[in-house]
Amino acid sequence: MYAGKKYLTIAWILVLPALIIRIFTTIYPILETFRISFFEVRLLQGIRKFVGLENYIQIFHDSKMITSIQFTLIFVVGSMIGHIILGIALALILNMKFGGQKMLRTIVLLPWAMPMVVIAMASKWAFNNEYGLINDFIRWFSSSFNLDWLIYTNTARIAVIGVDLWKDIPFFAILILAGLQFISADMYEAAKIDGAGALGSFFRITLPLLSRNILILSIFFTMWRITSFDVVYAMTSGGPGESTALIAYRVTTEAFTNLNTGYAASIAVVLFLVMALLSWLSMSAAKRLDY
Amino acid sequence: MADKISRPLPLILLMWGLAAIVAFLILFPLWWIFVSSITPAGELFSKPIKYWPAHPTLDSYRYLINNVGLLPKITDTAIIVGLSILIGMIVSVMAAFSFARFRSRGLTIAVGFLLASMLIPDVVTARPLYDFLRSVHLYDTYTGLILLYISGLLPFSILILQNYLGDIPVSIEESAAIDGCGFFQSMYYVTVPLLRPALATVCIVNFITCLNNFFTPLFYSNGISVLSTAITQLPLRDNMYAVPWDLVSAMGWIIILPIIIFVAVFQRQIMEGIMAGGVKG
Repeated sequence: MYAGKKYLTIAWILVLPALIIRIFTTIYPILETFRISFFEVRLLQGIRKFVGLENYIQIFHDSKMITSIQFTLIFVVGSMIGHIILGIALALILNMKFGGQKMLRTIVLLPWAMPMVVIAMASKWAFNNEYGLINDFIRWFSSSFNLDWLIYTNTARIAVIGVDLWKDIPFFAILILAGLQFISADMYEAAKIDGAGALGSFFRITLPLLSRNILILSIFFTMWRITSFDVVYAMTSGGPGESTALIAYRVTTEAFTNLNTGYAASIAVVLFLVMALLSWLSMSAAKRLDY
Repeated sequence: MADKISRPLPLILLMWGLAAIVAFLILFPLWWIFVSSITPAGELFSKPIKYWPAHPTLDSYRYLINNVGLLPKITDTAIIVGLSILIGMIVSVMAAFSFARFRSRGLTIAVGFLLASMLIPDVVTARPLYDFLRSVHLYDTYTGLILLYISGLLPFSILILQNYLGDIPVSIEESAAIDGCGFFQSMYYVTVPLLRPALATVCIVNFITCLNNFFTPLFYSNGISVLSTAITQLPLRDNMYAVPWDLVSAMGWIIILPIIIFVAVFQRQIMEGIMAGGVKG
């Protein structure tokens, strides 16, 4: 029905507002990021000169940056393991048919719907040694427990990952639940007749049929994790030292606090390339596993 | 129902037990934030922690209203979120309609670009975008913030609406045309009303996304302050724990209370929205 030059003009007019907004907020700035990543720009000293790949080389000689990369990897992997194990467990709980199902699903949506900043600010207080919720809870079991979580590298990292899990596992579980609901009850019936127990049908039916969802979700969640910012901004400010400064946090510190714009841009470009690689992986995984 | 399964009691108890553990892990921290918000500042630093304050008070809420300017922040948030959702919806319906109804190579590239641009993280574009907004005098303005908020909403909204439009047959618009409707008339009077369920889902999810947006107001505004950034900008106090926990808790509770109510009301639509789009959290 809609063919001909007249309609094509209308089509473009309809798309134009969306296109213009996105071009100015993403395409223009990302090209600019690429460009300034080859410059040394120090706004405070008024320096601006072409340095080629120097900023990129500096990334690998900058100890702060190496710590950031390390923690980002730990954060991504640790968080992913937690998501997969606890997320699947939670999805199975959400999939139970019982009287409180609707209420439970509403409760589970809450962490997803709440801003990470609020959760992160509250967590800072919750992890306080003397007056925090976490230690108070642990003291029910071991009354002399004392630990100032956020002042040691390892415990601060564990705390950050823990908060991220609390906020995001419910969301992961809901997406797994969507996959669970596509598995027909007939398969479980058949397995039951063949003598499979609950564990058997979980490992032989549920897990294999969910593997595609789990893989693609893992890639997406990894991408979101790599660009995580709010949690460390509000909870640890990257500390103690630089131990919880995720790469995304590092980029903004270099760009807005240290005003080392060219260097920040080079880190941003690397971050972008990693994201592009991961999205390419997720697309080819989706294609290959389509059955 | 005939196939209603009767379950053994231990299994039912196990289910309720597991559900209770999950509910506790999620709700207890929220309860604790609430209790901290109505506990007098001095009492917050007492051991052991009291999960019900001896002298509940609304002082911290009063302080937020009188000394921190809570009401202007609520107004700012309402203006930005409201307009972003409204304008964002109009812009995405137009684009989705075009992508779902017309075919041309250029349009295919445009869709691809819109969806691919979702992958560009905020931090990557932050500094150049900040400089750009300053140079066109949109930094710290409603217009600038609303444009950025809308931009964040577009890819997901277009994706969902376009999928939904694909299921609405073109013949509906054709018969409207026979009845004498012009192109835009049939789009507005015939197709858009049929989109209502998808619009509702997108609106609800966009509302949460906008309220939770922290990055945009943090970096692209200064005087205009929305609720999500306000919690990190509370005035520090001069005691051993400089961060004013009573105020942080109260501000936190002000932010999450509407969200809790909203989620309770729209549980089903939100669930569908998440499942349809795998929305970013």
